[in-house]
Amino acid sequence: MDASSLTSSLRISNSNQFHYLPQLSNKQQRPCEVHFTISCKATKLKNMEETKHGSNFYKMLSVNPKNATMEEIKKAYRSMALQYHPDVCHDPNMKEESTRMFVQLNVAYKTLSNPMLREQYDSELGLKNNMVINNIVSEEMWRSRWQEQIVELKKRSRRRMEQKEGSWGSRMRTQNMKDSY
Amino acid sequence: MAEPAYTVASDSETTGEEKSLPLPEIAIGIDIGTSQCSVAVWNGSQVELLKNKRNQKLMRSYVTFKDESPSGGVSSQLSHDIDMLFGDTIFNMKRLIGRVDTDPVVHASKNLPFLVQTLDIGVRPFIAALVNNVWRFTSPEEVLAMFLVELRLMTETHLKRPIRNVVLTVPVSFSRFQLTRVERACAMAGLHILRLMPEPTAVALLYGHQQQKVSHETMGSGSEKIALIFNMGAGYCDVAVTATAGGVSQIKALAGSTIGGEDLLQNMMRHLLPDSENIFKSHGVKEIKSMGLLRVATQDAIHQLSSQTSVQVDVDLGDGLKICKVVDRAEFEEVNREVFEKCERLIIQCLHDAKVEVEEINDVIIVGGCSYIPRVKNLVSNICKVTEFYKGINPLEAVVCGAAMEGAVASGIIDPFGNLDLLTIQATPLAIGIRADGNKFVPVIPKNTTMPARKDILFTTIHDNQTEALILVYEGEENNAEQNALLGYFKIMGIPLAPKGVPEINICMDIDAANVLRVLAGVVMPGSREPVVPVMEVRMPMVDDGHGWCAESLNRTYGATMDLVTLKKA
Repeated sequence: MDASSLTSSLRISNSNQFHYLPQLSNKQQRPCEVHFTISCKATKLKNMEETKHGSNFYKMLSVNPKNATMEEIKKAYRSMALQYHPDVCHDPNMKEESTRMFVQLNVAYKTLSNPMLREQYDSELGLKNNMVINNIVSEEMWRSRWQEQIVELKKRSRRRMEQKEGSWGSRMRTQNMKDSY
Repeated sequence: MAEPAYTVASDSETTGEEKSLPLPEIAIGIDIGTSQCSVAVWNGSQVELLKNKRNQKLMRSYVTFKDESPSGGVSSQLSHDIDMLFGDTIFNMKRLIGRVDTDPVVHASKNLPFLVQTLDIGVRPFIAALVNNVWRFTSPEEVLAMFLVELRLMTETHLKRPIRNVVLTVPVSFSRFQLTRVERACAMAGLHILRLMPEPTAVALLYGHQQQKVSHETMGSGSEKIALIFNMGAGYCDVAVTATAGGVSQIKALAGSTIGGEDLLQNMMRHLLPDSENIFKSHGVKEIKSMGLLRVATQDAIHQLSSQTSVQVDVDLGDGLKICKVVDRAEFEEVNREVFEKCERLIIQCLHDAKVEVEEINDVIIVGGCSYIPRVKNLVSNICKVTEFYKGINPLEAVVCGAAMEGAVASGIIDPFGNLDLLTIQATPLAIGIRADGNKFVPVIPKNTTMPARKDILFTTIHDNQTEALILVYEGEENNAEQNALLGYFKIMGIPLAPKGVPEINICMDIDAANVLRVLAGVVMPGSREPVVPVMEVRMPMVDDGHGWCAESLNRTYGATMDLVTLKKA
């Protein structure tokens, strides 16, 4: 039981974390490339499964995939949360089920309420077939992600400078940072 | 008393009164403050604050060990603050609970007029009350439990029914280990915790309720409101950013720190009597008395500085030690500059984490005892660029009111007018992760993740043919693993022989509806999806007092032999 739940969780949560990796791996060959393929496979599997079972993030939130506005998505999320959040579910037998529901609902909301993730999700679902648009979008997406990462890296290095230098950990981090460029 | 690791919280929720009673018992809300505390309950149509025999809604949080039976701030008849400062009274339990003797907060507590002794090795501090010239050992949990018993008895008398279920509010910065100590204190007092809520999220719930009342017709519609909640009491400072609509408050970000009125007080005491720490070090009866006198005089002065610009401090500490000084507000603000700067940083960080711009904030709510301090009001309004704060919330009662509403909601009470169609979607106040990539803290569940949550990250070995991996689970915000709170540790064994970087170690963390954290660890080889060895499942926190030692001795014994690195990160 534990094993299956672990593998299932692998498939659920990878979607957000791993999307940007294949793009990075184009830029720089890294030894752990093999893992990306596994992650991507898992992601694809998830989407295939979803479409097969007839449930995707839009259906989960009962909104129109083509023209649902941010307001509609938020509204749908809130009313679903009032129904499915384990805090408002008082049947002890349903607690686990409602927890699972809410975690999924939340993944759906996080994706659809973020314009960039939504765009990406749409193209994965095959809602957007226009390659040109897709390329522009992914180019922009790549750039903004890259910028996000730069900002984060800068933040980290600032924090590192603030801390006292010389610990083994900080030396390792500096080393790692050098390796990545 | 069973240790938390062996209590079955999820079961205790399904058994007991909830099932058998036709009408569910309404859980009461308790706000245990560092300095004051209060109890409230949903009375069927609204929240009611309960009063003690002296007609107080806010009761001082302390326990006096005078006679054979200790008495707390609920029932005690102490007429003046100074009566509780002669060594026999323990207070500030909330600052001390669940901390080890290397913690700076514990060290700062050595200036309190009772005994806080440290050995500085990472064990629980020695805390004692002076009873008939004998230092009697106790613990923050025990003192808190005694106090909770008084609160329970008071509530039972008031409501004429036994009380078991409670919703308790806690500071944002409390680690999960500290929460287990609070749970333990409640268990000792015969109370069952239905929910532990970070204080500002209780305020968020109350705010959500008020918003819903204002615009009942726009239920769930687009009128989402962003509120910033700033809560500063005697012991802690918390900030939350919440998005509210249709009775649902989503916590977008939380930030908290151990700064509060106690720091302002201690800085001010040091300002008035620079050598105070040395003078009081011996903790003799005389010194404790002087310490108490100085404390009360300083406290009065700070209170007065909220309404006037300068104050005369005139106190005779005995032994020829006299303080006669005029202190003005600017001086007070300068002495505490660092504290106020920390408050500013917390707000800025919280807004940043919530990805909310100042212009998007609809309401700024300021609560807690320190919200009366002009400098505090100023800094909040300056950062949030507002001229006035949200009205309609009592700064000293908001938290307990929110807790009482949550108590009604969590007990399954249905209000015919929809007053209880409320929900606070909580976020994790601290990141939870493991030590990897050297000495780094790698969050698996990041800070401000919506709860319940389940996340995982892949790690891999750092040595060829590494068959074992040591998993150290931490909670906190620091980059350096050891600077965070250790929640537990275990070893994964039976990793198949392979070059370094090949085996995939999946660390999955799960926070369920009851806020129980489970850490799952599995080993998968590339190309397969089945775990090689049985998956390990560990409920956290599993460490007991003295956990300051664990990480250090593990490091000494094993070094990097069983280390992991993240698999995916660039």
